[in-house]
Amino acid sequence: MSHDLFSDLSYEWTPVSPALVKGRRLVGSIIFGILVVVMLAGSGFLFIFLPLLWAALLCAVALLPTLGLWIWFWFWVPRNQASWGYFESEKELIVKSGIMFRRLVVIPYGRMQFVDVEAGPVATAHDYASVTLNTASSGTVADIPGVPTAEAHRLRDRLTELGDFDDSGI
Amino acid sequence: MTTPNSASDFDPASNSFDSDLPSSPGGQNIPGAPLDQNGPPVNDEGRRTHPLSGLVLGLVWGVGVALAFGFGSLRDGEWLVALASVPAGFLTGVAAGYVRWWFTKYFINETEIRIETGPIFRSSRRIPFARLQSIDINQPLVARIFQLSELTIEMAGGSDSSSKLRFLPLAEARVIRATVLQRSRALTKSKSPSSSGKVAPAGPETEATLASQPDAEFSLDENLSIMTRVTPDRLLLGALLSLDLIVGIIAALGLAIGFIVFDIPWALFGVGIPVAFGVFSIISSRVFAQWDFTLSRTDDGLRITRGLFDRSSQTIPFDRIQGLELVEPYFWRKLGWGRLEIDVAGYGIVSSEDGVSATTLLPISDLPLAKALMAALVPDPNPEQHEAAFYQASRRGRIFAPIGWRYRWLSRSQNTVLTHTGWLTERTQIIPQAKVQSVAIDQGPWQHYLGVATVSIHTPDGPVSIEIRHLDSELAPDLLRAEIEQTRHAVLQPVSLANFLSLTHTPRSSGSVESTEHQSGQPTSNFESEPND
Repeated sequence: MSHDLFSDLSYEWTPVSPALVKGRRLVGSIIFGILVVVMLAGSGFLFIFLPLLWAALLCAVALLPTLGLWIWFWFWVPRNQASWGYFESEKELIVKSGIMFRRLVVIPYGRMQFVDVEAGPVATAHDYASVTLNTASSGTVADIPGVPTAEAHRLRDRLTELGDFDDSGI
Repeated sequence: MTTPNSASDFDPASNSFDSDLPSSPGGQNIPGAPLDQNGPPVNDEGRRTHPLSGLVLGLVWGVGVALAFGFGSLRDGEWLVALASVPAGFLTGVAAGYVRWWFTKYFINETEIRIETGPIFRSSRRIPFARLQSIDINQPLVARIFQLSELTIEMAGGSDSSSKLRFLPLAEARVIRATVLQRSRALTKSKSPSSSGKVAPAGPETEATLASQPDAEFSLDENLSIMTRVTPDRLLLGALLSLDLIVGIIAALGLAIGFIVFDIPWALFGVGIPVAFGVFSIISSRVFAQWDFTLSRTDDGLRITRGLFDRSSQTIPFDRIQGLELVEPYFWRKLGWGRLEIDVAGYGIVSSEDGVSATTLLPISDLPLAKALMAALVPDPNPEQHEAAFYQASRRGRIFAPIGWRYRWLSRSQNTVLTHTGWLTERTQIIPQAKVQSVAIDQGPWQHYLGVATVSIHTPDGPVSIEIRHLDSELAPDLLRAEIEQTRHAVLQPVSLANFLSLTHTPRSSGSVESTEHQSGQPTSNFESEPND
């Protein structure tokens, strides 16, 4: 039953920047790190007020899932990065993503209303940016994370150039 | 009713408010002159809205301010402060309203309308006529008392794509609307020549006698012709037969019986009051908001007028309708009735469930009329005409919708895509291929396991969202590819006025008995028809 959904739609996908993995791991580590530190500080109090066994148990209940999520996130990031890809065909931009929740969206160039390029501090440091494509429909959720900065700007300029209001279909 | 005879009586700065624009509510003698073909209004300073706008805006805001302060001090037992807060609130509101009015100006030229607002945060918005999606004139109750109206212009794109002018004398709002529509049509003429030609042999029911003026170029005469009217009794019947109301009442009755059986009668109040409130709000939103619902056609597009307390008049150019949805709730279907909803870019997702939204094209009608309208607005509306391009949801996805999966299908032709969903409330959605924005396939983990996928075809936000869930995942890529191939070649077929000529108001089509003199002679309200003093 596990027919590969996108095998019929094989294009020469352009992958997103591998730096996305580093950047996301960095952001994830900061968030999970803070969480763990806060929890450790909190459980310090537990050890003062509760018997040792109870305190250790509660501590484990709080910490283990967090650490588990951290580890899961650590391995999720490269898989997710590898799942992203886009292809500029003659008339459309095609974007695919996801492993668990798979998505493939095809956007004719003419329908493009505007294209955003965004990069936070971590993204800037790792030289990537996210490109968001907007059509007249909010159903077109197409943001490609982790496009190398220069490529992101090229993509934006090209898509904006190809977008044509007369062809916007509205 | 304290109605101003003429705007200039109230105008402290009459030089800025064009004195040659007659803004008498009577509106018999509106010439096109002040907004004529030859460039922008005479006054380069721009125009202001009606000076009473400050008062009306102020009244609305003032109520809010007064309530906020009044309640606070009442709670603290300070009666004096509470009493004082009412006039104080109104004064603040009116002052703020006047400041806003003073700094709001609009400019109209050949290609765009520009609105400038704000004393501190100045903003200036340009609305190119070429991007016009719809233009509405609304009269909230407060504004209606003063015979003022609010003009809303929708553009495509973005969340904040609508622009409002509050408030204008009704006659002036109509002149602006006619100007905007005319110029917008002139700008888009090159793209769709057939939609602009004057096709209308105006029938006897033509109502637009507003402008019998010599100026041949500019004319308020839009060849308004009523296609259908929906009577309040029918709206009420429709509301009473809608599923949510029936389910709600049955549930309430069940609870009530339960309370009586278990001998806790006081609990009845707890059920009765919310139920009564719910019923009232459903009735009021479906009946009062759609009161005197009239669907007409003009040279420029469809015109919807409705409302008992708040009046509203929407104009949607024919080819700005992005998609259609025919909704048939269970009991309505048994009676052969349906509701027609439309997608208009800019209206966004207004809740279509409560039935008040601006996206309702027909709140309730007989199916033949609804189908005829669909046929006039979209090519190939009948799935029977679609040559063998039929996609049925996969049986493997039945776990997600044990009954509904059988009723879920999509069919497509060269010009349109149509989906059908629902078994209690059937929904048929249809869009022209040329309006497709993008196409996507989605597949969650469970869907992956079952070998199904969802294909969605994106259109501007609104009630219509074309998608087929749980399609066999081997068919999904085919559908996607075919759909993309089709959008490449699809040519927008202009919707022309000629499509609507067969749809004229007859007693049969509205399902109510109404004489023809009634339509053209004495309209019940002076809102959208000829005003009577």
